[in-house]
Amino acid sequence: MRCLNDVEIQAVVDHEATEDVQQHAAACARCGDRVRDREKRMAAVGAAINIPIDVPAGVARRVEQALVEGSSQGATRLRGDAPQRKPWRRTAWSAAAAVAATLITIVFVAPMFKGESTVTAAEILARSVDRLSQTATTGVESLEYELTVDGMTREIMPDQPDGVYRVQQMIDHDMTGRYLLATYGPDGQLLSSVAQDPASHQRVMAVQLEGQWYRFELTVPENVTLSPPEIERLHMQASVAMMQASGNQQLQVIESGSGRQYRIQVPRLSAQTSNAVWDLEDARVVIDATDYHIVEFAVKGTFLKQPYSVSYKLIRRAVMTQAEVPAGTFEVPRESGAITIRGEGSAILARDALVGALRELARAKQAR
Amino acid sequence: MEAPTTPSESARELFREHGSAVYRFAAVLMRHHQDAEDVLQETFLKLLHHLAGGGRTDNMRGWLFTVAAHAARDRQRRRARWITWTFKHDSAVPPARLPDEDGRLTIIRHALLRLTERDRLLLVLWAQQLTYREIASATGIRLSSVGPLLARAMARWEQACAAIEVPKAVKSERHGLL
Repeated sequence: MRCLNDVEIQAVVDHEATEDVQQHAAACARCGDRVRDREKRMAAVGAAINIPIDVPAGVARRVEQALVEGSSQGATRLRGDAPQRKPWRRTAWSAAAAVAATLITIVFVAPMFKGESTVTAAEILARSVDRLSQTATTGVESLEYELTVDGMTREIMPDQPDGVYRVQQMIDHDMTGRYLLATYGPDGQLLSSVAQDPASHQRVMAVQLEGQWYRFELTVPENVTLSPPEIERLHMQASVAMMQASGNQQLQVIESGSGRQYRIQVPRLSAQTSNAVWDLEDARVVIDATDYHIVEFAVKGTFLKQPYSVSYKLIRRAVMTQAEVPAGTFEVPRESGAITIRGEGSAILARDALVGALRELARAKQAR
Repeated sequence: MEAPTTPSESARELFREHGSAVYRFAAVLMRHHQDAEDVLQETFLKLLHHLAGGGRTDNMRGWLFTVAAHAARDRQRRRARWITWTFKHDSAVPPARLPDEDGRLTIIRHALLRLTERDRLLLVLWAQQLTYREIASATGIRLSSVGPLLARAMARWEQACAAIEVPKAVKSERHGLL
């Protein structure tokens, strides 16, 4: 028999060679040397890759317990003595499209729940949803966050080509409908700003287009409570509720620099329904374990069959009393050279801007 | 010792016998230890259902690694898709990692990442001392192709190890990286 090739040498080392190959390796001094050399190299490779780590005790306990219970359908449950516990994955993303919400961006509302020793992914999400649904916070809430949008949401907010914004938001919880929302580019330059004051029935909006600032000063009717922050809050609340309804929450405990956090992810596992108004493909939320406030939130899906994604990362949050709020906080700054358009507003900002601009165009034409 | 009588007992017995090997396989292959734990859990829960459903039991080690390999691949692809979408957020909240006192696991993963997905899988399965038949089953590669592909993967692995910087703490014969 001819001398062995590399594959045959490998097979001899792995005890996978045919009988005649093994016999040749035993009889041929040259091939025998090659086998021994390969054995040494393979031992080194095996020692390198087969790292002597064992199943962590907590994980082993959990696996054995699950095998005793004989089911993978139970909720993800974290217990006090095993904070690193991972969830059992369920196999179906339940269709939870009963929730309806307008989407643009996200808002953060701090919940005040106290932590417990035992909690599930569904419970964590439920608490966040519960807190998001409560608007009883008093004082003025200041939020600063990074917002990344893509798809349909990026078309709604076209200022930044990469869809990344830094957002400052002020919400007056003592006066429904009073807010300020400002977006900035990475360089800190103001991109847009909108503020509303129900007491004076005023809404001011400033936007920039091709270097020109436009300022809309509009009167708003009574009971205009649907504001961008409120829409954002509803979107977040509905998204988290949809995650809660999913049967495939993946829970992970993170020990971060700012304390323990729960990271819950719901990956897409099933095809979308053809008639869904709103559908999520992937969703992830990071929740602070101490008070269940949402630190990060990201969703990807379709709305009216248009793909979109929104990611939110909280940078700073503070709540002030009315006395602590600096003067001018709820005012949109006046940009030099801005074209000011005045008129009557409605509950829909985009419509107001369009109607205001068209009326101004008509006036200019008549004046000529 | 009495032979296991229920699927649950059989599954637990197999977990005690093969759990560590499946975990080592997943820990080396996956980037995050949470994923390795998930692969382990999913594999043995599927085993339980397999046994409860009267599935074959003639090659349970091969079956376990086949399921684990599929679970690992699914997670890698899912995580890659997720990271592409919002990778910036991962830097803000880095996931916890497996204890790796001497950095060896990190280096091994680093070297493995220089290989193709198939080479990685072949090597890690081989390191768990699976037979060529079991490797073929777990990877979906033809039995006759396992040997040649494994030999090539070994060669590429050695090249990858030679190309990376190995810290002194790991540069020892015991670790087999030289």
